[in-house]
Amino acid sequence: MFQNMIDKSMAKSPWIFHVNAGSCNGCDIELVSVLTPRYDAERLGFRLTGTPRQADIVVVSGPITSQTRDRLVRTLAQVPEPRVVVSLGSCPRSGNVFKGSYCVDGPLEKYTHVDVSVGGCTPKPEAIVAALAKAAEILAEKRKEMRQK
Amino acid sequence: MTTLLWTIFHVLVFPGLLFCVVVGVLLAGLDRKLVARMQNRVGPPLLQPWYDFLKCCGKETIIPRHARRGLFLAAPIIGFAALITVALFIPVFSYSVYSTSADLVVILYLLTAVGVSMIVGAAASGSPFAGVGLSREMVAMISYELPFVLVLLAVGRMAGEGSPLGVTFSLQAIVDWQTVNGNLLFHWSLIPAALAMLFVIPCEIGMHPFDIAEAETEICEGTLAEYSGPPAGLFRLTHCVKMYVMCALFCVLFLGGIRTGYAALDALVMVGLSVVLTFVTMSVPHAVCARFKVEQVFKFYWTVVAGLALISLILVWLGL
Amino acid sequence: MYDFMYHFPVLAIMALFLGAFLNSLVGRRNAKVRNTVVVLSMLAALVMMLSLVKPILLDGNSIVYWLSNWAPVEGWAIGISLEVDALSLFFALIVVVAVFVSGVYSFFYMDRDDSLVNYYTLFLMLSGSVLGLVLSGDLFNMFVMIEIMTFTAVALTAFRNTYEGALEGAFKYLVVGSLGSTSVLIGIALIYSQTHTLNLAQLAAVLPQADNPVTILAFAFLFVGFGSKAFLFPFHPLAADAHAVAPASISLMISGVLTKCGVYGIIRLGYCLYQNMDQPFVQYFVTGVGVFSMFVCVTMAFNQHNFKRLLAFHSISQVGYVITVVGLGSALGLSAGLFHAMNHTIFKGLLFLTAGAVQHAAGSLDLDELGGLSKKMPHTCALFLIGAASISGLPPFNGFASKWMIYEAAFQQAGETGNFFFVVVCVAALITSVLTLASFVKVAQSVFFGQLNPRFANTHEVSLGMRIPMWILAVLCILPGLFPDKVQQWLLTPATLAAVNAPGYIDAAMGTGYAAQHGVEATLSAGFGMSGAWQPVMWLLLLISVTLAVCIVALLGSDEKATVTSEISSSEDNDPKYDSFFSGEASVYSQVGGSDLFWGFKHNWRHYFSFMHNWHSGVVNDYTLYGAAAIAVALVLCVIFL
Repeated sequence: MFQNMIDKSMAKSPWIFHVNAGSCNGCDIELVSVLTPRYDAERLGFRLTGTPRQADIVVVSGPITSQTRDRLVRTLAQVPEPRVVVSLGSCPRSGNVFKGSYCVDGPLEKYTHVDVSVGGCTPKPEAIVAALAKAAEILAEKRKEMRQK
Repeated sequence: MTTLLWTIFHVLVFPGLLFCVVVGVLLAGLDRKLVARMQNRVGPPLLQPWYDFLKCCGKETIIPRHARRGLFLAAPIIGFAALITVALFIPVFSYSVYSTSADLVVILYLLTAVGVSMIVGAAASGSPFAGVGLSREMVAMISYELPFVLVLLAVGRMAGEGSPLGVTFSLQAIVDWQTVNGNLLFHWSLIPAALAMLFVIPCEIGMHPFDIAEAETEICEGTLAEYSGPPAGLFRLTHCVKMYVMCALFCVLFLGGIRTGYAALDALVMVGLSVVLTFVTMSVPHAVCARFKVEQVFKFYWTVVAGLALISLILVWLGL
Repeated sequence: MYDFMYHFPVLAIMALFLGAFLNSLVGRRNAKVRNTVVVLSMLAALVMMLSLVKPILLDGNSIVYWLSNWAPVEGWAIGISLEVDALSLFFALIVVVAVFVSGVYSFFYMDRDDSLVNYYTLFLMLSGSVLGLVLSGDLFNMFVMIEIMTFTAVALTAFRNTYEGALEGAFKYLVVGSLGSTSVLIGIALIYSQTHTLNLAQLAAVLPQADNPVTILAFAFLFVGFGSKAFLFPFHPLAADAHAVAPASISLMISGVLTKCGVYGIIRLGYCLYQNMDQPFVQYFVTGVGVFSMFVCVTMAFNQHNFKRLLAFHSISQVGYVITVVGLGSALGLSAGLFHAMNHTIFKGLLFLTAGAVQHAAGSLDLDELGGLSKKMPHTCALFLIGAASISGLPPFNGFASKWMIYEAAFQQAGETGNFFFVVVCVAALITSVLTLASFVKVAQSVFFGQLNPRFANTHEVSLGMRIPMWILAVLCILPGLFPDKVQQWLLTPATLAAVNAPGYIDAAMGTGYAAQHGVEATLSAGFGMSGAWQPVMWLLLLISVTLAVCIVALLGSDEKATVTSEISSSEDNDPKYDSFFSGEASVYSQVGGSDLFWGFKHNWRHYFSFMHNWHSGVVNDYTLYGAAAIAVALVLCVIFL
């Protein structure tokens, strides 16, 4: 009984941990705008959390600079299972305008499996909300997979 | 046999585990909804804290390398259980189960024990963020303790008038006094104390403007920094139940005269009043205030709030 | 009561002194002989005192033993007497239990020190003198015992004289302690000049009638003298300096036993000799001193970096609680004070022993440096948590039971007299309690939790011999907390009755009717009511049932496949998953040390703390001045208001 209730709650309460891997701050501001009255992601149960230990969804923005690489990998490792990784903006996908720079070690796929990817520089808040909702669904699926294993 | 069954009923259902959790979750959900409405947002569903708790139960529990395993896992359970026992000691107006076996000081200390279990859990997690968090939690505790104590003494003196000792610490005696003499909230000399108590409630719970110990943006959830999975969920649930317990304590201290004589009706009245109190003491400050700094919390409580409580205590002492 | 039991008090004292003597005589041969002598003499004292529990505490008899059988003649007591009533025996029990635990602990704790014969000789002399003090029926004998006690304590403080500050601490203790002893001596001289007797029972009959300025001066001198032995404000800086450097077993003796002598002296002085505890001035004065001690010391403890210095300040703070309620002059207050005095010996003893264990194992007491020892010393950590919970007054430990009575006593006094002063006392006691909790959170965080300093990576748990005494004290912490009504019934009520029953004390020694002849009546009734209720067993049962319920629900809902509680395979495992979250940085040693905690509180109180910092200058001249000022103030106040 409890397990079914937990399964159902999984998608209803995804908590987000945001990692800035050398982003220009554009995507970060857009992510915060998702929580404002206009878009209000909290109505879907989203909540920004301060520690990866309680996170379900890790949102990564920025092109993964060499300074942030180790820290990003470490933080991702500290998120408990099941977890979903969302790449925010074009940078973690491709490196965007920073591609080829001596200090950029992207893309994000090199370090972790990316579940949802939102393109754009910067992506629209609507797109971010849609991506987060998609991530929440994936989270619930991952939980089911974990149980079946 | 029937006594045993009744005890089990009291512990598990009413006014124990089930009732506290349900009302606590509803109050917490309502608080989030109200804040959202005040900020012109839709807000999460009413049962959001319950979903949060269940979700936490479905996650992995990571025990960090520096943590002390046993205490790290036991702290949330003990804190939660201690809080439920506090709820058992608080009479639901006329429906009191164990309220004759504990008094105001015991309640005060059991509430402290709940805070301490969180502090011990944070300390046992071995994280520097938790270290800062527990330090702040302790400062918050020192902050609200002084006004809280002054309020309790003022109420104890007022309700103890006429008794042979001149004072009382017994919650039941306070409720009984109010049934005869009217609610303490409407005795003008105790209005400052009631105001002070309204300020004590959010700080005791660690609600938003006073949540210095769990400041997620500055110190990564502070005391909860290393908690994941079910223990973290249990801490969140404790937080919700604490909302109900503090509101119930306020009702008993200042509005104890409202009794209908029917347990179910009394419980409903209690829940209704808790909703009002949640709105006044938690949602409004949450929606309109930014988080206080650590030293501001301490200063505020030891000057303004303690001052209010002290005024009441002196007035009561003068026999007014 | 069997006839031979009449000899037990004097034999118990002699056993300890004889042990000291034999020890220095034969103890140098080898360690076994020495330890046997010590254990035997401690055991003898313990067994004799325990055997007196039934006749004295439960049956309500008292023992008066006239040395050399010099019984009083025609109402004049010339000989030296030992008078053991329930109050004396209550304190004697505290003493012998503490001595036994401390002695057993010493065998293992002092294994790295040399010249241990001297240590045990001094230790037994200290124990014997303290026992002699609480059992004595003669005022001058009490002074002699105080002197032996002070000087052995000074010598033991400086025992590890290679430690930084050991000689300094001992020197301060010597100088200012002598000031206190002198004060007692002057008080005794004044009393003797007025009454021509030194027997406590006869004095108790004569003194309340001989109400003149000289006896009042004597009261002030004696109060300050006994207060200095309890390290009350403003004598508290001594305790900090002495405790920090003394071996932990001696810290236990100083805080658990020596301070109790001061408390015992003050109770005897106020309730028995002068019987003036019902006078408002005495109540204000004693309670005021208690509140100052309790509050100033707890705030001082906030700023300490040394584990044992912090405990030392708390020790005085807790004795402040005792004096505060003793000064209330009510039966409930006295009961609460006695209960807290007993509990203080137990939990503070436990805490000092854990501090000693940390010192023994890690070699440091610095709160900014230690950390994470709970993994290396799990038993010591558990014991410390029990002690810390007790001293902070968390239910269901003994500290809560007695503190609860203290609040009741203070608030009832306020309710009955309608005096706001006692409300302030009650508030101060409650706030002191939360500050106590705060500083033990600080110790727990900075010694046992957090991250392990690589310097202490090779620390190991202390030996079983050191843990057993600590576990004994831990059990003693829990039992009175769970069954306060039994403690009340078996220990506190008889002791309280004895303390307020001055006529009984007089008649036991001087013959029936002596008190009535001098017009001495019991001023206080020993009965009291409670304005609240606390049933720890019931609470504990409820707590256990709720915990069980939560656990059962958790187990029903658990699913092994989904909820994985991760284990760490080995300490060499470098998986970053189990590192502390450090904003993504590599996990480095990062401990939030003692000085870094409670910033918001300290910031708001910075002026107070800087004042206190300057005031506790560490200069012995200053401390002597404070002592002299205390005597002067006490004299002036007593002469004006009594």
